[in-house]
Amino acid sequence: MTLLIEKPREIVEATAGFSQETVRLASQAKNEPDWMLDFRLRAWQLFESMPWPRPTDEDWRRTRLTGFNLDNYAPYASPKGTAERQDLDPDLLEALDEMDSAASLIYQDGGLLYRQESDRLARQNVIFTDLQTAVQQHPELVQRYFMTEAVSPDANKFTALHAALWDTGSFIFVPRNTTITLPLQAILNQGDGVGGYHHTLLVVEEGAEVTVVDDLMGAENAFQASVVELIVKDNSQVRYINLQDFEHTAWNFLTGRAVLGKDTDLRWIQVSWGSRLTKAFLDLDLRGQGGHGELLGLYFPTRRQHIDHQTLQLHRVPNCFSDLLFNGALKHRARSVYMGIIKVLPGAQKTDAFQRNGNLILDRSARADSIPGLEIEADDVRCTHAATAAQVEDEYVFYLMARGLTRPQAERMIVQGFLQGVLDRVPVESVMHKLEKVISRKISR
Amino acid sequence: MSTLEIQNLHVAIGDTEILKGVDLTLHSGEIHAMMGPNGSGKSTLSYVIAGHPHYEITQGDIRLDGESILDMEADERARTGIFLAFQYPVSIPGVSVANFLRTAVSNVRGYTNKESAAEDNGVIGSNLMPMREFRRELNTKMKEFNVDSSFARRYLNEGFSGGEKKRTEVLQMAMLEPKFAILDESDSGLDIDALQVVADGINKLATQDRGFLLITHYQRILNFVKPDYVSIFFGGRIVKTGGPEVALMLEERGYKWVEEELVAGAVPV
Repeated sequence: MTLLIEKPREIVEATAGFSQETVRLASQAKNEPDWMLDFRLRAWQLFESMPWPRPTDEDWRRTRLTGFNLDNYAPYASPKGTAERQDLDPDLLEALDEMDSAASLIYQDGGLLYRQESDRLARQNVIFTDLQTAVQQHPELVQRYFMTEAVSPDANKFTALHAALWDTGSFIFVPRNTTITLPLQAILNQGDGVGGYHHTLLVVEEGAEVTVVDDLMGAENAFQASVVELIVKDNSQVRYINLQDFEHTAWNFLTGRAVLGKDTDLRWIQVSWGSRLTKAFLDLDLRGQGGHGELLGLYFPTRRQHIDHQTLQLHRVPNCFSDLLFNGALKHRARSVYMGIIKVLPGAQKTDAFQRNGNLILDRSARADSIPGLEIEADDVRCTHAATAAQVEDEYVFYLMARGLTRPQAERMIVQGFLQGVLDRVPVESVMHKLEKVISRKISR
Repeated sequence: MSTLEIQNLHVAIGDTEILKGVDLTLHSGEIHAMMGPNGSGKSTLSYVIAGHPHYEITQGDIRLDGESILDMEADERARTGIFLAFQYPVSIPGVSVANFLRTAVSNVRGYTNKESAAEDNGVIGSNLMPMREFRRELNTKMKEFNVDSSFARRYLNEGFSGGEKKRTEVLQMAMLEPKFAILDESDSGLDIDALQVVADGINKLATQDRGFLLITHYQRILNFVKPDYVSIFFGGRIVKTGGPEVALMLEERGYKWVEEELVAGAVPV
């Protein structure tokens, strides 16, 4: 393990409000090359030209941005330099240590805070670094893959803003036929009252295998517009976990897409615990025959949280498999939205696609909307979808209580059982235990 | 030595009275078989003893060693030593037998005491029976009660056959070691082999410190489990109590006899 201690960069006070000038200053503060500055400025123009989501837009009909205003936030955070391990905040240290990882990165205040590297990874020519460093050290790779293959800046208003102002995030490049057994871990602790733009760019070359965990927290009274890009090349295997546990005052916008090559195997686990409002667009893009993609989601909004997942399983070519399972429990006045489409393009015969969304409503005032959908333009396919909303069965509770469990224990066990279908497929044991703990906490509250 | 007393128990759902004055005293070491036709209120009685919240007790009392248990929730009753083997055990997705049983056993044996359970909302893991100890005991008892060890990891009753469900109920009873066990038609729907296994389990657990209320529709299980007393339940109350000969009499003459001879005679209109 090595530690890099950097001097705090010159702190550039963000000018009031969001503007082209803000974008320029953000780029300057990072000493970025011209190509990245140009990229950002183009994205800013795009952002300005795109309308804000309207309640009449199909994507935003059930998720309103009432109360969200960019003017309430500082446009970007100013990094305060890196820290030594012993100076890390206890919460970060806990997040760092609870998982056995091959290497870890921690981000805070718009920059890298801490880096735990691995010589072994370096010997394997694996790149696992913060994206800002990658821009300097691997410009060709970043130019080739950054918001070009998977998520483009014009995907939506928030991806355009992200492209203009992106700050934290990881660049992960796993060379051909390389297997990384332990997970790569990235932790973001976003600051208060500020815009954050976290990026995950994973490029996995032919025949390689990797597991990546993004652990997102913080963001008190803040907003986050993040992007996840997974480029999964032929014959490779990827496990990706996005574990979002922001403060319940945060607005969270996520756009992610995995692009799958031939005979690939991807499992994406999306956990949405935190934020006051989340709108997440998650796409599986199957571009090579024999691709196998799983998209699994867990959510458990409480109080007045609003969690919206919108998914796309895009089958472009024949003989691919995709399986989607999103399970959520809802408490108090919480609200969830699930919208999903399985889209099979002409010629994508022998497609096997599943989509399931289950909701367990724990309080009468909670509400779950589920809108599954199919758009099929091939004739030899097997596609199914299902949506359920249920309450905790009184007879389940009585059965467990008659065995001596307290009512809260019984309810928790039933809720956890309901979510178990997804938990069982979490490939990292420590992450699974962490999820179980959060579920317990959320039920008890 | 414990006593479970049911005194003049009247129970209703809404305006419908289902139990109409049940009196029954059960001591440790006794097996009391209760036979009655469908719809006579046998299952209601078992649910009410276990503390199901949907029934209204309009009169009477249930006492364990002299203390009324009517104010106790189902879980408290389980912790004081009452066990109900369900006629139709529910299947609960995602909840494994071992996982839930460890919590149940921990509660019943006092690993999670009542105060800490209330304070932490009974947070799992706060006070559980040590995993190794639990596993060892569960494995031993699974062998003893003919439950395949793979069932520990399976989700509760999901995809279990009728016999597997009933055997798992007996296994749970063995783990929870109650003072009084109420078996609600544990024999129903079983073929003769499965019945034998369940009956063997009951006989193993029928020790001097445990009492059984064996609710059944048929005399068949009493060929395997020998009762000390047999009561006939009809129209929401007990109409006759005697020794094992009562079961044979019933087998011979059928419930029609009960209606004609016992009910007509016992209830002057």
